[in-house]
Amino acid sequence: MAPAPEAAPAGLLPLVNGQPVALDQALDAAAALLRGARQPLFGGLATDVAGARALYGLACATGAISDAAQGPAMMAALRALQDRGGYTTTLAELRSRADLVLCLGGLPTAAAPRFFERPEGVAPHTVLQLGGDVPPAGHAPPVEHIAPGADPFHTLAALAAVLAGHALPKPDPNLAALAARLQAATYAVVVAEPGRWQANAGLVVEGVNRIVSLLNARGRAAALWLGGGEGAATVNQVFGWLSGLPLRSRASPAGLAHEPLAWDAQRLLADGAVDAVLWVASFSSTLAPNLRPPASGLPMVVLGDATLALPPRPAPTVFIPVGTPGVHHAGHLIRTDGTVLLPLWPVPTPPPSGLPSVAQVVAQLSQRLERTHG
Amino acid sequence: MAEFLLHGGRVVDPARGVDAESDIAVRDGQIVSAESLSPAATRISAAGCLVMAGGIDLHSHIGGGKVNLARFLLPEDHRAADGAPIPLPSNPLELPSCGTCTPGTLATGYRYAEMGYTAAFEPAMVMSNARQAHMEMGDTPILDHGAYVMLGNEEIFLRMLAERWEFAHIRDYVGWAIHATKALGVKVVNPGGISAFKFNQRALDVDQPHVHWQVTPRQVVHTLAKALRELGVPHPLHIHGSNLGVAGNIGSTLATIDALEGLPAHLTHVQFHAYGKEGPKKFSSAAEQLADAVNANPQLSIDVGQIIFGQTVTASGDTMRQFANSALGSPRKFIGSDIECVAGCGVVPFRYREQSYVNALQWAIGLEIFLRVKNPWQVVLTTDHPNGGPFTSYPHLIKLLMDRSFRNSQLEQLHPEVAALTPLRDLTRELSLTEIAILTRAAPARLLGLTDRGHLGAGGAADITVYRVQNDPEAMFATPERVFKDGVQVVHNGRITAVPAGGVHFVEPEYDRGIEKTLRKHMAAQGSVNLDTQRIGHDELCGCCNGGRLLPAACLEVTP
Repeated sequence: MAPAPEAAPAGLLPLVNGQPVALDQALDAAAALLRGARQPLFGGLATDVAGARALYGLACATGAISDAAQGPAMMAALRALQDRGGYTTTLAELRSRADLVLCLGGLPTAAAPRFFERPEGVAPHTVLQLGGDVPPAGHAPPVEHIAPGADPFHTLAALAAVLAGHALPKPDPNLAALAARLQAATYAVVVAEPGRWQANAGLVVEGVNRIVSLLNARGRAAALWLGGGEGAATVNQVFGWLSGLPLRSRASPAGLAHEPLAWDAQRLLADGAVDAVLWVASFSSTLAPNLRPPASGLPMVVLGDATLALPPRPAPTVFIPVGTPGVHHAGHLIRTDGTVLLPLWPVPTPPPSGLPSVAQVVAQLSQRLERTHG
Repeated sequence: MAEFLLHGGRVVDPARGVDAESDIAVRDGQIVSAESLSPAATRISAAGCLVMAGGIDLHSHIGGGKVNLARFLLPEDHRAADGAPIPLPSNPLELPSCGTCTPGTLATGYRYAEMGYTAAFEPAMVMSNARQAHMEMGDTPILDHGAYVMLGNEEIFLRMLAERWEFAHIRDYVGWAIHATKALGVKVVNPGGISAFKFNQRALDVDQPHVHWQVTPRQVVHTLAKALRELGVPHPLHIHGSNLGVAGNIGSTLATIDALEGLPAHLTHVQFHAYGKEGPKKFSSAAEQLADAVNANPQLSIDVGQIIFGQTVTASGDTMRQFANSALGSPRKFIGSDIECVAGCGVVPFRYREQSYVNALQWAIGLEIFLRVKNPWQVVLTTDHPNGGPFTSYPHLIKLLMDRSFRNSQLEQLHPEVAALTPLRDLTRELSLTEIAILTRAAPARLLGLTDRGHLGAGGAADITVYRVQNDPEAMFATPERVFKDGVQVVHNGRITAVPAGGVHFVEPEYDRGIEKTLRKHMAAQGSVNLDTQRIGHDELCGCCNGGRLLPAACLEVTP
């Protein structure tokens, strides 16, 4: 391997307790750190399919609990699904079929800026926004704002009651009008981001599912949930297919267990229920601040993108810089609507890095742990 | 053990017409002539055993988005009845993975292999999410795999039919879809009906027009079957017909056969499509009519989709019918999805009960079909896993087919009206070991065009299962003594001994690439995955499949 150019950013070298070391030394230190843990937490989980495949084996070998940075919203939505199910649609269906789009709590354009872009010849749909801040003036397509400021859970419950034909003591004429428009639509889509409500997302998901279910009794409607970015949905799906269980699961001595509430990463850290952390953040934490490693005094291994600036920590800390899928190396991620696994290719002229992928680093960690157990 | 001789066993290999004590010689993963082995070859005794090719499941939902949705919908399938976690495997070769009707992919591979199966095929790959299907199958250890891409409900295809495009263009589109998704075949699900449901049409009979495109299921079925014939795809159109589960649907099933106009086809999970509407509950068996049609049409094949009593989950692309049945779910929950202008999916948990008139009759209808179709080469043993029941119930199903007294004793436990009325009691046929070998390996290999699988002749792949002869066929078929995958022993006495990555079977038919220009334009307008991203290349496929071997099946010579 050619020597690193003089101006190489320091972020390209692994660090053990702040000191630059060779990759092998960093891997040895990381393996020792994980080996010494009684209950590790795998957090962040910002990686691709290959990274997730590798992480599953390591999680089993170490008995780790795994939760993604986007865990609170994603698991709240998943719990609603586990309880009752739901009816969803996808981006292409929305674009070519929906005549009425109801955005809950705001427009999804902050996370999905091209959401409303349409090619020539695609019929425009009516866009409504229920609750949330007043949408920007002059938005294309135009957005009608309904029931501004209303409590979303109450609004959804009241809308469902109207759709179900229940008599309400003080019916809101705005909601009655909205219900009529939803019923008259050929294909109504309710768009929402669970991340907007974090751990309360389950209530919104259940409310929307109820509304969609009532509409589907006679007409057609569906929900479109956007989120699961930074690898969260991808790792959840991969762990789900390999083991049968989603995240917030663990190969414990008692067996394969799943605790969708209790095994929230933040809660485990706050309760002192874990004693080491493997933090995976192969996407930029500048763009996604929730990928910054948690403030914690625990021993920690960080597999982070090279720009991740780790503040000095008193506890044992191993930082191994990794490549970013779709920038430095190819990979696969689940699309924001959860139904399409898309390929990523490295950018045509990637910044030179020579950085390993999460999958490569984790494979080496697993080998080191196997050798000691084996 | 690159070379070994399996000697002294009774070889049941119907593809070669063999049922006799004979030796099987293996070198480097292939079956070879015994004389060509070196004297150093390991000798393995199969005395007192049956030796068959590895089992092949040609219709089992083992990969793709809807299977994962089913896993997420049923956390209760992933813990013990008392809520305790499922114990970790004691075998260090196995990674933890659990579930019965929706097992994780790892458990799927282990449990199939332990049962003597060496290949399974996902029948409902959604075009826009083909990668996930290949990824999940790639994470199913030991088994070879492959998938049929679902066509016949994409807006682009229905538009082609509605606008009366030249057939050659439609055929090239089908070729492109197979090529892009690395499919082994094409399945049509509720022809046109998944799309029609998106337009709020709640039922679609074979000659009824789609409310928007004005295209009929008859046109869809005929066009796809003809396209596959002209492309030389070995597995003919895999058909999940109209009106699944509807009383009286034998009419639409026979109309679907009629729509084929003599073209070959595979009718899948026919048990769900063989219902009359006679009798006190307006729900009756039409197994005899179905079997008569299959017996009269040697170009047709079927798999049964037998139901097994107990808890399972139904996961299907047929949103129209799954939505209609969602109120019958147990536990009562339902996932539906309209997908990318190409497909849909519906997931409904279901508990088949002996004391339910309908479920008891479904059970009897499935068995009737197995026993009434005369030529076993036209039949494949399936439960449409997990829709009729989990694949782990195959040994029980084999016993039902091989042992009439066992079958009739089971019948006694059913809803009394069914037990009294079904003609099943009087069907005396008991399937032989040769017939079971046809239904579970030889016929599926032949129907898929896998020339080196499903038999034990020289040149074949050394996928071999060795069963210790026992009086109880259920016990015998549940736990083979040895299983070899490409010459590697993967199971010994019910325990996994190696976990190689399986290979992926697919076809690469020739088609006119000119169609891609037109498709690129349509897909851009539709806002779906763009054409160039849709195509999975060989290197990527290999990565999806965890480095498993790529196994392209040869296409047939096309005679005009």
